[in-house]
Amino acid sequence: MKLCCLLFALVMSAGTAGAQDYLNCQLVAGWEQTGAKRNYAADNLYDYKDGGAEGYLVYSFARMQGVDCKSGAVTLAIDVSEMGDADLAYGMFAANRDPNLPIAKIGMGGQVQPQSLSFAKGKYFVEIVETDGNPTSNQTAALEAFAGKMEPLIEGRSTPPEALDWFVKDDLESARLVPESVLGLRLLKHGYIAKYKQGQAFIVLETSPESAAEVMKKLRERFDGAVAAQLGDEAFQVKAPYLDGLCVFRKGRYIAGYANLPDAQQAVAMSTKLAARIP
Amino acid sequence: MKFQTSRREFVSAGLMLPVVSATSKLDFLQPSDKPTEKAPVAPVKLDYRTLGRTGLKVTTVGFGCMITSDPSVITRAADLGINYFDTARGYQHGNNERMVGAALAGKRKEIVLSTKSPAGDKASLLKDLDTSLGELKTDYVDIWYLHAKSKPDEIHDDMIEAQQIAKQQGKIRFAGVSTHGGQQILAPWMVQKGAFDVLLAAYNFSMDASMDQAVQLASKAGIGVVGMKVMAGGFRSVKPTDPIFDKLHRDGALLAALKWVIQKPGVSTTIPSMTDMDQLDENLKAMGNTFSNTDEKLLAQHLEQINPLYCRLCGKCEGTCQKGLPIADTLRILTYADGYRQFALARERYQELPAQHVAVRCGDCKECTVDCPYGVHVSDRMTRAQELFA
Repeated sequence: MKLCCLLFALVMSAGTAGAQDYLNCQLVAGWEQTGAKRNYAADNLYDYKDGGAEGYLVYSFARMQGVDCKSGAVTLAIDVSEMGDADLAYGMFAANRDPNLPIAKIGMGGQVQPQSLSFAKGKYFVEIVETDGNPTSNQTAALEAFAGKMEPLIEGRSTPPEALDWFVKDDLESARLVPESVLGLRLLKHGYIAKYKQGQAFIVLETSPESAAEVMKKLRERFDGAVAAQLGDEAFQVKAPYLDGLCVFRKGRYIAGYANLPDAQQAVAMSTKLAARIP
Repeated sequence: MKFQTSRREFVSAGLMLPVVSATSKLDFLQPSDKPTEKAPVAPVKLDYRTLGRTGLKVTTVGFGCMITSDPSVITRAADLGINYFDTARGYQHGNNERMVGAALAGKRKEIVLSTKSPAGDKASLLKDLDTSLGELKTDYVDIWYLHAKSKPDEIHDDMIEAQQIAKQQGKIRFAGVSTHGGQQILAPWMVQKGAFDVLLAAYNFSMDASMDQAVQLASKAGIGVVGMKVMAGGFRSVKPTDPIFDKLHRDGALLAALKWVIQKPGVSTTIPSMTDMDQLDENLKAMGNTFSNTDEKLLAQHLEQINPLYCRLCGKCEGTCQKGLPIADTLRILTYADGYRQFALARERYQELPAQHVAVRCGDCKECTVDCPYGVHVSDRMTRAQELFA
């Protein structure tokens, strides 16, 4: 028991030390901390983010640590949020990035703008924002310098969720994690959406083939006129309100398919390509 | 994708926007020609109210778009007749406005659209507004809120000036303020200032009577009142994957919480956050159904469950423990474990308390001297924290 307590204490103290390491204004020469470090948890994030806190909570936000760094007249607010897991941290990043701008190679993915930078690594989502409100300022160099120093100090995965790689790449516009209700349907609890020039693909992660089969059964019952399709372990196609040409298939524990295509046949054709990419 | 409405059309439309009869308290809309996967069984009842001096007729159930999982949910809500939609510049760094704009394409004339900016000066506010209009693909928003203000000194004259300039330019129709925790101070100040048309305020069944007074004061002065956080924070933290979620839906507590706000005098509409089609269907039931004794009992039961457990951090217990324990801090830490299932985090925080406090056991006191005005069972909760973390 004592050994367990000791190990627990060591783990906790190591975690705290890690946070201290990467939340350090002096990581970049010429920058100094201003004010005290801040800490927020799920129950008081509203104090900092107001209504925007809900946008963090849906990605299983656990806590946030932050610090303000100053150099001359410029102040950068650095906040590191710990999310439920690495996939959710990536999801938080993807939901908040500008889809019109490229993804930078920082951790699992990052984005750099003149006055802000964000990236995800492991279960951490990092935001660095210039807070001085000068719309013409360009702090790209400082933002990238901080990200470059912080990223190696943050533990965890540097590769995006593997499911994102399963989406067909042709005409892909953006892909994101949906933490609740994929396609707006509560039955599809948690998964990924890829937007294309036409239509969208989805991959829902169920815990087992059996639970996925149960969801498929209930899902098919929701759609009048659904007919079977020959795809994966089971599949159906339908022309549905709001989802237009829709095909849903199950492959093992994954439920996936295409929606919002002009007709269901086209959705089946695209889903066949997607099914071939899912292991 | 472009909305059909130009600014000129907007001006010519003027106050014709409220297309529903002002006298119609309860209207019926036939199911949309684009029903959900299976058509709603019965026609949706729509209940309208006037939003203060704006004259806008809004459905009592509006739509908070912030955490909506798919634009189709927003589109369907508009097809079913919900006509008030709320977003903000800051939600998902603008992606939410983009989704709302896409979801409501072609419906601009049928709906009341609001967004918000957190900026703290005129130039930044007006820049934000232009960005919002671009993302929403529209020439104007109906209500533009100064986002998340808690006290009057956070609202400077140049911010009010920005709202007035935006009105003159036809980019907004009405000016508002949103607040999560400053209602009682902000409402009388807004009345006295006379510069605002709408108050967007957190308002739910767990709040005390002073909130009712603030809402009614604003409403009587002609300020339209929109309720948010209507389900109370304790409900929002429960995810659909949690077994408690089903229970809350099954016994109708979530719906009762929404109806509670709708029936309060002075409230014109509400903006519950809606994630999916299922939640939309549930929330629609709040219109055309009055708040009943059963609803009241349900909420009382839930409040009873919340009261002994959840510290509101009012600080009134400070200094009243004979052992000097930091009561509010400890109960907040306990919430991490009990409310958010973050046990490791809770234990870590507890261990950061001063050693002399961590060593105290409430069971050693013959009598607890702490009396919570909200009925939190302080001694029981402190004992639980000590058992779990000490």
